[in-house]
Amino acid sequence: MTTEPEPRFTRRRLLRNGAAGSVLLAAGPLLATAPARAAARLASAHAAGVPKKGGTLTFARSVAPTQLDPANSIIAGDVYTLDKIMEPLYLTSPAGQLIPWLAESHTTSADGLTWTFNLRPGVKFSDGTPLTPADVVFSIKREAANTNGPLSFLDAAIKTIKASGPNKVVFGLSAPWAPFLSDISVFANAIIPANFGGKSEKAFFAKPIGTGPFVLDSFTPSSNLTLKPNPHYWQVGKPYVDAVQINYVSADNQRVLQIQSGEAEIIDQVPPANVSALKRASGVKVELYPAWEVDLLVFNEKLPQFADRHVRRAITYAINRPALVSATSFGTAKPGGSFVPPSLEYYDPNTPVLAYSLANAKAELAKSKYPHGFHTKLLISGGVQKWSEFAAIIQQSLAPLNIKVTIDSPDNAAFHTQFESFNYDMFIDYAINDISDVDEMASFELNYKDGGSSSYWSSYNNPAVTALVNKAEAEFDTTKRAALYAQIQALVAEDAPFVPLDYPPYIYATSTKVNGFAVNPGGAYRLENVWLS
Amino acid sequence: MVIGVAAATFLLLHAVPGSPAREVLGEHATPAAVAALNHRWGLDRSLGSQFVRYVGDLVTLRLGVSFVYGISVISLIGDHLAETAALVGIATLFAVLITVPLATLAASRRDRLADQAVRGLSVLGLGMPAFWFGIVLIEIFALRLGLLPVGGAGSGLWGHIESLILPGLTASFAIVPLLVRSLRVGMLEVLGADFVAAARANGLGELRVLLWHVARNAVIPTLTLLGLNIAYLVGSTVIVENVFALNGLGSLLLSSISSRDFPMVQGITLVLAISVVLINLATDLLAARLDPRIRLG
Repeated sequence: MTTEPEPRFTRRRLLRNGAAGSVLLAAGPLLATAPARAAARLASAHAAGVPKKGGTLTFARSVAPTQLDPANSIIAGDVYTLDKIMEPLYLTSPAGQLIPWLAESHTTSADGLTWTFNLRPGVKFSDGTPLTPADVVFSIKREAANTNGPLSFLDAAIKTIKASGPNKVVFGLSAPWAPFLSDISVFANAIIPANFGGKSEKAFFAKPIGTGPFVLDSFTPSSNLTLKPNPHYWQVGKPYVDAVQINYVSADNQRVLQIQSGEAEIIDQVPPANVSALKRASGVKVELYPAWEVDLLVFNEKLPQFADRHVRRAITYAINRPALVSATSFGTAKPGGSFVPPSLEYYDPNTPVLAYSLANAKAELAKSKYPHGFHTKLLISGGVQKWSEFAAIIQQSLAPLNIKVTIDSPDNAAFHTQFESFNYDMFIDYAINDISDVDEMASFELNYKDGGSSSYWSSYNNPAVTALVNKAEAEFDTTKRAALYAQIQALVAEDAPFVPLDYPPYIYATSTKVNGFAVNPGGAYRLENVWLS
Repeated sequence: MVIGVAAATFLLLHAVPGSPAREVLGEHATPAAVAALNHRWGLDRSLGSQFVRYVGDLVTLRLGVSFVYGISVISLIGDHLAETAALVGIATLFAVLITVPLATLAASRRDRLADQAVRGLSVLGLGMPAFWFGIVLIEIFALRLGLLPVGGAGSGLWGHIESLILPGLTASFAIVPLLVRSLRVGMLEVLGADFVAAARANGLGELRVLLWHVARNAVIPTLTLLGLNIAYLVGSTVIVENVFALNGLGSLLLSSISSRDFPMVQGITLVLAISVVLINLATDLLAARLDPRIRLG
């Protein structure tokens, strides 16, 4: 029993979803009431057949939870645990669309500066107290004020937050900000009771109270955790399972064994090499979910050889990305083109990619200041087979240009420190979008001055690109916005500040007994729709 | 020794590149946010003053608060210690249960086929990596035969014991070859002793001679070797826990090193060092009890 990814997420479907999502965004005041139906549709779409109640869902997960404060979380083990307990106003669906969640709808003023959210009636926290605008004001003010938090930059546009009447919250922004709805949907903006329900912050997050489908039952940090249903959950009748047992299983091989033996019903991070064997295994199904993720080969433009545009273009031409992907991903990933992954809205399939051509590569290098090649180093995070394979292939690919590559693979923390202090020549890493708006990736990777990472530590600085990124942030018309991002993608492909190597999916294996499980392109999965047959 | 381990851990942690604040805050961390966390954790002080503070904390048995988990290191170690202790205990038990019969067999059939086989196997065992052996065991006993779980901690007392059988066997194999060889040599030496001839002359059965007179006298060097190798066993639990998804101190240590959780790494290495010292002390005491010729002091 296997399911191919394609029917779930064809490009046409993506564009249609993308378009529908953006109409809602742009024409907020007109269309903002449709959402409850959308949420219901989402719920029913997942679970074919009649959901059955009961059972414990055992999830063997590659990442361990450490703590559960949304404002101070960034590690996957924390994020994908706390989001079962605490929920934001909007949420990204498995199809990558923004859907109303604790807010039933929203409106945007004509100048794009005032956003009013109407809270869903009847929502209660897991302790039985009703959700009020004061809770929303408290939660998002807390996150926005936590300027040293991992994702508080997403709330930078917020100037004021006010409760209005019994069920409205009004946000005043400092400038028109098209990505705002995406920003508000991030897990860091999850809603908790005002003033931590009267508890101390520490006591609250040891046993957090939220509006989510589950509550924390037991928790051993870095080991395992049990979730129990929230008896006051606003989606009446859900969740279906009696308990979720999440076990930390760091070894890839052990997770694969646990799904084969039936000890786990869901595993994450299936190694691509195991996909075909698991697809053949009885009682197991494998799912590939498109991700807002792209693996990048980044050039350090602080070095003269990589400040030379011809060198970057030559290297890009020299890497055969379809071959690289087929040699390493066992058919799971897609070869890279644009720096925007295809699963993200505003991806342009017509981006002029510098496709593999050794002749072009040699011609570009001949035009550079380094026609006879040079020695360079490639930095990767050690101990990850995929990166070693990528590095070896790139090393071979650049040999015909007489560019000699030495591979350096320290452990992950040392790797981070090295490239973030610009102590590298080239490095490979994955870039992800946490929210459904491409702006996060665009500004982080391309806005040298204000993006927060000197263009993903490449020091790439093209004022024309930065201007377009800023323009797109304030553009509410989706057609115009799409045109801006198409321009950006074309300019970046030509400048080649990094080589988008591939678009890897999220790979999960589940027992065939598991129904209603789906992962959104941000990597989040809801468990209230899951039932065991 | 414990002080040496503590100092070495501190210096190594600070010598390798990698920023705990960056690992906690993610790639969007601003320099200001990293600086704020470093200040809160005292990492902005000079290395010397950090070391003085660390030693001061150790002396007063304060292991501090984990950077990543935000709770006390002692309570986290407490959560994970039992798992590792149980694994080491079961592995030691298996090691003894496997070593004694094999060594006895080999010593009593010196240079014959059984002896050659045991010696050959122990050479093979020495060269076999623990993770590979663990996977082979899982493949046979868990996946094919379905007798035991493939991994995880299991639930309930029996589930828990069951879940430790394959990991215990895997970990024990890290030291069994050494122990078998040591006990075999010890037994061969004792077999030539006068009191063995006397025992035989008194008409005692061969098995009784081997197990009571020979093994008991040959066991002391092996026991010392076992004590020393439990340190090695404790070290190998890092790998064995990973292979079998047991979340003990070893796996906590690995993830804490990856995230540069200094207090956590320092706390765990300290606990491991102390337990190795205690185990060595215990084996010395036991050896003294078994052999009145050994005196403590």
